[in-house]
Amino acid sequence: MTKTQPSDEREFAEEQSSLFKITLGPLAWALHFVASYAAAAVWCAKGPGGSILPLRLGIGAMTAVALGLILWVGWRAWQQWDFTDDWDYEHARARGEDRHEFLGHAAFLLAIVSFVGTCYTALPALYIGTCR
Amino acid sequence: MTTRRRRAIAVRAGLAAALTALAACDGPQSVLSPAGDDASQLTTLFWVMLVGAVVLWTAMNGFFFWITRIRTGEMSRKWAEALIIGGGILFPVVVLTALLSYGLTIMPDQRAPGDGLRVRITGEQWWWRVEYWSEGADAPVVSANELRLPAGLRSDIELTAARVIHSFWVPALGGKMDMFPGRVTETSLAPHTPGTYRGQCAEFCGLSHALMAFRAVVLPEDEFDAWLAREAEDSAAPPGPGRDVFMAEGCGACHTVRGTEAAGQVGPDLTHVGSRQSLAAGILPMTSDALVDWIADPEAFKPGVEMPGYDHLPQEDMMALARWLEGLK
Ligand code: HEC
Ligand SMILES: [Cu+2]
Repeated sequence: MTKTQPSDEREFAEEQSSLFKITLGPLAWALHFVASYAAAAVWCAKGPGGSILPLRLGIGAMTAVALGLILWVGWRAWQQWDFTDDWDYEHARARGEDRHEFLGHAAFLLAIVSFVGTCYTALPALYIGTCR
Repeated sequence: MTTRRRRAIAVRAGLAAALTALAACDGPQSVLSPAGDDASQLTTLFWVMLVGAVVLWTAMNGFFFWITRIRTGEMSRKWAEALIIGGGILFPVVVLTALLSYGLTIMPDQRAPGDGLRVRITGEQWWWRVEYWSEGADAPVVSANELRLPAGLRSDIELTAARVIHSFWVPALGGKMDMFPGRVTETSLAPHTPGTYRGQCAEFCGLSHALMAFRAVVLPEDEFDAWLAREAEDSAAPPGPGRDVFMAEGCGACHTVRGTEAAGQVGPDLTHVGSRQSLAAGILPMTSDALVDWIADPEAFKPGVEMPGYDHLPQEDMMALARWLEGLK
């Protein structure tokens, strides 16, 4: 086996961080989901009773944070994909640019799914005003 | 036979089949002929979903047909992109958001608080313990195996179970709700059309699960109030041979007949059993013949039932017992 070239090593180190970025959107969605459902379950089982406005506001705040994070990830991913530069959405070749843009492209699409998913998770808190 | 005639026959047969199928949608246990606000809402939801699904299905297949058979040439890149982003992302997001919002706005209505009457129903194997708590009452009116509700009012329904999970469902009145041992679940029903409907346990609960049904009787409000007042009273339980057999055979160890010393809690309350429209949780008619058959061998009607058979009773004792029970109105 040949020793990897220093330039390759640098490139891999760089992609490592975007590999991490790819998971950020779904991660925000998942955490928002767990936190929202746990908060509602605990509030309704052990809470003070009466109005659930604080719970709804709490879920609203968590939603704002999660959506903000997802938008940021989406924007960074869009930049990394760099679509408008060459209108290229095929990343099939074994070279640095393709790997780089592929990871950006995938993270961008995942951010879209995560955005929609997070909104849907929050909708019940918007429409359902009681624990029943 | 000519093709045309054959086709005409096929069309007629198809129409007949469709009509029969539609006729089956009618009846005391149909979600498609609603007799309550909640059921009406669910029926609307069903039709909206069905029509939506049919439109989407037709459109998708039509589109597929068009693209594979009619316009088979290569598609421009611009078109393909518009199709994927518009048809694959935007359109589903818009449609799903609309449907989700519609569904979520309905959910609170289905569990809206009631107008005063609270009915607590406990799922037993394989029958229903039913308690009516009027507003402000400090003791319930105890009954079994039949649910009566006032029309035009919303009643709270509190559900629980004795030993295993059951599920409470009167399709013509509303959605279903599970019943759990050690937990109380809540729903509410607002029937609008007086009549007799059928409820059914909707969660497998053992051998005779399929035989665990009940009648739901919706009455105009004043009739309901009069009925509940009568139900609250003790039984007349006239003395005589029937009552003597009941006491001598120990039926009172499991059954309550208010107004007598029978105060058992194992089986259904029999104080006004004769005024119910069905026997043994919706599976037999309320007649003295059916009572005789049931008491002689309950196991024959409900495998696994917790009531012993009394086929050793002399014919005349049995008849007296059955008539006495039928008279408990
Ligand atoms: C060991 C307890 C037990 C004894 C003793 C017993 N029963 Fe029962 N009985 C039950 C149970 C439990 C049910 C409910 C069965 C079911 O539907 O699953 C029942 C149901 C009934 C029903 C139907 C009630 C309804 O709401 O439709 C009648 C009537 C009845 N019993 C009469 C009698 C008579 C009469 C005797 C005495 C000859 C008797 N039972 C003895 C436990 C008992
Ligand atoms: Cu059951």
